[in-house]
Amino acid sequence: MAASQKNIGDVLLKVDNISLSFGGVKALTDISFEIREHEILAIIGPNGAGKSSMLNCINGFYHPQQGTITFRGETRKQMRPHAAASQGIARTFQNIALFKGMSTLDNIMTGRLLKMKCGLLSSALYKGPAEKEQIEHREFCERIIDFLEIEAIRKVPVGRLPYGLQKRVELGRALAAEPSLLLLDEPMAGMNLEEKQDMCRFILDVNDEFGTTICLIEHDMGVVMDISDRVVVLDYGRKIGDGPPEEIKNNQAVIDAYLGVQH
Amino acid sequence: MAFFLEVLIGGLMAGVMYSLVALGFVLIFKASGVFNFAQGAMVLFAGLFFVGFIGLGVPIWLSVILTLVVMVLLAIAIEWLVLRHLVNQPDIILFMATIGVSFFIDGFGQSIWGSGVSQIDIGIPTDPILLLDGEILLQSFDLWAAVVAGALLIALVLFQKTRIGRALRAVADDHQAAQSVGIPLNVIWIIVWSIAGMVALVAGVMWGSKLGMQPAIVGLALKALPVLILGGFTSVPGAIVGGLIVGAGEKLAEVYIGPFFGGGIENWFAYVLALAFLLIRPQGLFGERIIERV
Repeated sequence: MAASQKNIGDVLLKVDNISLSFGGVKALTDISFEIREHEILAIIGPNGAGKSSMLNCINGFYHPQQGTITFRGETRKQMRPHAAASQGIARTFQNIALFKGMSTLDNIMTGRLLKMKCGLLSSALYKGPAEKEQIEHREFCERIIDFLEIEAIRKVPVGRLPYGLQKRVELGRALAAEPSLLLLDEPMAGMNLEEKQDMCRFILDVNDEFGTTICLIEHDMGVVMDISDRVVVLDYGRKIGDGPPEEIKNNQAVIDAYLGVQH
Repeated sequence: MAFFLEVLIGGLMAGVMYSLVALGFVLIFKASGVFNFAQGAMVLFAGLFFVGFIGLGVPIWLSVILTLVVMVLLAIAIEWLVLRHLVNQPDIILFMATIGVSFFIDGFGQSIWGSGVSQIDIGIPTDPILLLDGEILLQSFDLWAAVVAGALLIALVLFQKTRIGRALRAVADDHQAAQSVGIPLNVIWIIVWSIAGMVALVAGVMWGSKLGMQPAIVGLALKALPVLILGGFTSVPGAIVGGLIVGAGEKLAEVYIGPFFGGGIENWFAYVLALAFLLIRPQGLFGERIIERV
């Protein structure tokens, strides 16, 4: 838990000249950037800039028409979401995608599905190795629950939880997969100040304690400038800025995109 | 009293047959949130293939295996041609798609094997059993049906506790989220439609042995609807209990309430029961609580 000096590593994920369009609408045009190991990268931009589309390309929901994505040295043109998950990419969603009928614990347990190995018969009967395996996974999930401070809602069906807590459960499910790359789509949207501070703390702790690389989309500039190591700015599907927060703050193109330019 | 018991037991046994059909609906509903209108047609389809293979002189055990293979192929075809293209679409679209699938496999099965009534005889004994010094008459076939339904129930409940069972529940709740935790949606759909196909085979063989294999069996699937409303669309035990209630309810109603209406209420009593249930407990006896936040 030592607050060690942060050392950004090699390139973990490389996006090369990605273009994505829906019919005639160009969502992304020729985007390239890198995510380095152990980094917190923020993607920002006005509404409709293509931020979520970018995340959807990375975890395989969308298939870009052009360009490649290289993850851990493996280049691909297309990938299915479950394949991305098994390679170690976990994510949360802008409009929360939880299993609403299940409890908090069960939701987080689904994050461990890929780690479970036991055969059909033994897990049906809950005997022998299957029982041991279940207990191990359960333990891991309880640790995540402790970490996110959601012990009190362990058994509550998530459909009944308030928005802020649902976002936290969703983060927990993503963490349960022990991802090497965590994609967060607006993790703090709709939260009050206190909830935002909690969420920031969790993100920083995850990054610090587990060394997880994080790529997040966020609209709250204060948060973005505080927690991220590097910022990528999109506008109308194009990349208009890429650099450390201080540099982005003073980037004229970024300021124009956000405040508008006088013509 | 003996008469009451006989009617009750006869009704429960008829209910078991409804449960067999309802189980197939529950499986697919649980795994995709879709009411699979084609389940009745799948029962006929599986039954026709089974009878057809036997008619060609194939032994029973091999016919079972061949029919299972056909049902798995059907599941793969449905996933490949229909479901794959409808990921993340509203439920009503998927429901409409299953109506289309229903008409297709109904017609397809009949154009291969013909639409006549054919008898299935796989050696289930049909002699009557007398209980309580001959006061209650039971069909041993009905007892066998109950045993089959019980075995199916246990197998399905155990299956739900497996990794795949968990994955099925996740897919039912949210397609996107399920994909993001690494569940391959296409594989899950093939698995669940295959299992529903196997359940359809069991239902087809049992119904076919009782009534003969005939196209009218597709219509029986609609009897599963009140069963599901009573038991809850998402509960495997609910499908069994719902079937028993509907079966016993309609027989008792016919005998004891029927005379006041001039009889014939057996055909619609189940639907009235279901309607009443919708008003009192819309999620059914065992269904998941409906939680809606706005």
